[in-house]
Amino acid sequence: MQAAWREGIEIPHYCWHPGLSIAANCRMCLVQVESGRQMAMPQLTFDEAKGEYVPSTKPKLQPACQLAAAEDMVVSSTNDEVKTAQASVQEFLLLNHPVDCPICDQAGECKLQDYYYEHQGTLKRKLTEPVHKPKGVRFGPTIVYDAERCIMCTRCIRVCDEVAKDHVLDMRERGNKNEIILAPGRELDHKYTLMTEHVCPVGALTSSDFRFKARVWFLKSREGVCTGCATGCNTHVDYDPRYGKVYRLRPRDNPDVNQFWMCDDGMMTYTRQATDRVLTPTSGRGDERLPIGEREAIALAAEKLQGVESSKLAVVLSAQHTTEDNLALAKLASALGAGRLYLAALGGWEGDDILRSNDNNPNRAGAAQVVGGSAPEGVGKLLEEVQSGEVQGVLALGWASAERLEELAPLVSLDAVVSLTSHVGPLPAAAEVVIPVADTFEVDGSFVNAKGMAQSFRAVLSAPADVEPAWKTIAGLAKALGKDLGFTDLEGLRKGLVDAAEAAQ
Amino acid sequence: MEPADELSNDQASLELDADPMRLNMGPSHPAMHGTIRMVMDLDGENLINLDVQPGYLHRGFEKSCERGTWAQVFPYADRLNYVSPMLNNVGWALAVEKLLGIEVPERCQYYRVVLGELSRIADHFTCNGASAMELGAFTPFLWLLKVRDWVWDILERETGARMTHSFGRIGGMAAPPTPNFKDDVRHLIPEIFKVVKETEIMLLRNRIFLDRMQGVGVLTKEQALSYGCTGPVARSTGIPYDVRKDHPYLVYDRFDFDVPIGEDGDNWDRFMVRLEEIRQSIRIIEQALEQMPDDGPVNVDDPRIVYPDKKDVYTTIEATIAHFKLVMEGLRVPEGEVYSFTEGGNGELGFHIVSDGSGTPYRVRVRPPCWYNLAASREMLLGGMIADIIPTFGSVNMIGGECDR
Repeated sequence: MQAAWREGIEIPHYCWHPGLSIAANCRMCLVQVESGRQMAMPQLTFDEAKGEYVPSTKPKLQPACQLAAAEDMVVSSTNDEVKTAQASVQEFLLLNHPVDCPICDQAGECKLQDYYYEHQGTLKRKLTEPVHKPKGVRFGPTIVYDAERCIMCTRCIRVCDEVAKDHVLDMRERGNKNEIILAPGRELDHKYTLMTEHVCPVGALTSSDFRFKARVWFLKSREGVCTGCATGCNTHVDYDPRYGKVYRLRPRDNPDVNQFWMCDDGMMTYTRQATDRVLTPTSGRGDERLPIGEREAIALAAEKLQGVESSKLAVVLSAQHTTEDNLALAKLASALGAGRLYLAALGGWEGDDILRSNDNNPNRAGAAQVVGGSAPEGVGKLLEEVQSGEVQGVLALGWASAERLEELAPLVSLDAVVSLTSHVGPLPAAAEVVIPVADTFEVDGSFVNAKGMAQSFRAVLSAPADVEPAWKTIAGLAKALGKDLGFTDLEGLRKGLVDAAEAAQ
Repeated sequence: MEPADELSNDQASLELDADPMRLNMGPSHPAMHGTIRMVMDLDGENLINLDVQPGYLHRGFEKSCERGTWAQVFPYADRLNYVSPMLNNVGWALAVEKLLGIEVPERCQYYRVVLGELSRIADHFTCNGASAMELGAFTPFLWLLKVRDWVWDILERETGARMTHSFGRIGGMAAPPTPNFKDDVRHLIPEIFKVVKETEIMLLRNRIFLDRMQGVGVLTKEQALSYGCTGPVARSTGIPYDVRKDHPYLVYDRFDFDVPIGEDGDNWDRFMVRLEEIRQSIRIIEQALEQMPDDGPVNVDDPRIVYPDKKDVYTTIEATIAHFKLVMEGLRVPEGEVYSFTEGGNGELGFHIVSDGSGTPYRVRVRPPCWYNLAASREMLLGGMIADIIPTFGSVNMIGGECDR
């Protein structure tokens, strides 16, 4: 199978997946090995002359997924015998399939549809009532199972066993009664449940999040990097260009980072883009917080920051923002002569030894890189210094911090606290001036993952009106403060990134 | 300027300007069918130079085809030669079928022939009627156009639409012939003959008509060849080229019919060629009706090409998938390119299509017969008089939809 793939030949398959063990149960990839000793299968063919069935033989076909390529091997995936087998297997799989395409989320990216068109192309011959099985079975908080659509390829079972290491799914009965079931007393609730839906070649497993939300042929896809943790899994970001809305993430194969998989929390990070956004600049705290204009906000922020002695000014980088954003902020800090740098990051997360890193910030390493290699102190240290009076003004990037608003109380006592943020969160809540910036899906940028790999990505959506990427807002703020950061576009800024990386070495 | 009565006799004598007059006709001019602009230099009433400018009805037909599926081209094809849309429909279907390497069942081939020839009759009647009308003879126009309505009545019964039928399908037709189809057409044939006769009585001995048609708008055989003219325009000059005869498609090789040709290539010959072609079309129809099977499939038996029956789509998964694939992604045509051509109302209607193997045409190029005939119309008109533009341009039968695409 893989040898053919490398040559650009696609052998149709359902149950085989490059990241899973070989099951060879769907029989769609049957091929004929034409070299070597021929195996023959006995069969009965109808003899017109005699008017009865007579014994004969046909070549024995073998599943390509289980067949190791060898030297001088001649394999046909397109001869008449194989074509007949492919059409028959396909017809067999559709024998009891419900007429669900119009209401099925898989329609448009369903292998049953593709292979029907490519390999079968005949109408139904069995006109009796199809076998009925359970539909809409809740497997867990994320997955709904439809047994009628299932072709029993067992990919989902193997994902649970081999990727999530949790044998929660299995198969029961045989033939018409065959179906996927949960382990007794269990729910499908491990950290990789959405991967079962991802590997399902048909519409049997659907994600309760994506179910009935969009039709896949309206979605477009861009390449992205997951923001969920420091692993930096590669993603396909599926969005609807008509509404400027992201509908789901899919793992993008990268053998060095995430192989073929992503965890559930990572898959769901797309929801962040559309929830709890900060879209208007504000000034004031608590009940006195009022919206102001963008230029006014920049001017006000500049005024507040200018009122603080540079040795008492703290600049907080963000492990949730791109390396570019953090670099721009670090440049501003050095232009202002502010030496106190801190790093805000999220906490409260559990890693595992599969994909999930212990750090749920996508870019802690990137933020460290821009300040010369080692990560700055956390927000806790900043709070101590605010309390001791060593810090009197704060410029903070990002919404994320492990500390809750109550813990950030010392900041609230300061007047000069400026927050550049895409979302609501404890840091902006504690700030006097809040300026909105773009979300990760709305910017070009890069993250450095826990392994130290820098992965860049492009904007998927356009930012909301009057909202710019943080590095641009920072450049605007620098201008208002009368400083030149030495870049005018992302290209120029990235040059600085190379310098910073070299300096770090 | 001084008042005229105070000028001397010498000064008052009118001195006509000897320079040619530049005159602009169209595109908003009834004789230009609303879509062509002619810029002419006139010496008196004689045309000494002429610039024919098409393009006012350009809709980007070919580019539009690259957006939809192969089947979605049919409505566009209808609007090429909108006087005989069925011929375009069938032309497009044949082109895609050629690339797919399939042939429609025999019954469908005959059906296509009969519907096509009916359209050709309507087309020629319209053109000839309009030619007479443009010379001031209004009665023949209405007299001839009633045949078009009779034909359209039949086409409406068959397809559901009078004019833009969108009735062709890749691998067949949208519906099989109605039970009364053959009888309807057979009843119509004597009526059509009657009108052809009446046309001859009305026009062929009319002095005015003869004078305006004979020897006017002459195109020589050489000119016709060098411009790539086809159809009645080429045949009127004596070139016996008819795609139905020279490169038979569908079942045209099974019929006995003649290709009428003219000698002089003037308006008269073009008129007479069309009139005679109506008779030949009727001969073809009569033979086709005789040979056409009364039952049997109309569409090819492959749900990956032709939409499955609605009953199956709603009840079986195989048909649902086939329908879904055909609608959402389109019929997949193998990679390659073909040129497929048929005899349209005005000559060789060709489709040059390129497929990249997807459900959408990669490139569609139409060879519109009018385009070449229109180019030759300059040769017909130059040296003639301005009033001759009207009958000559009429007899070229330029159809904007097809010419400008």
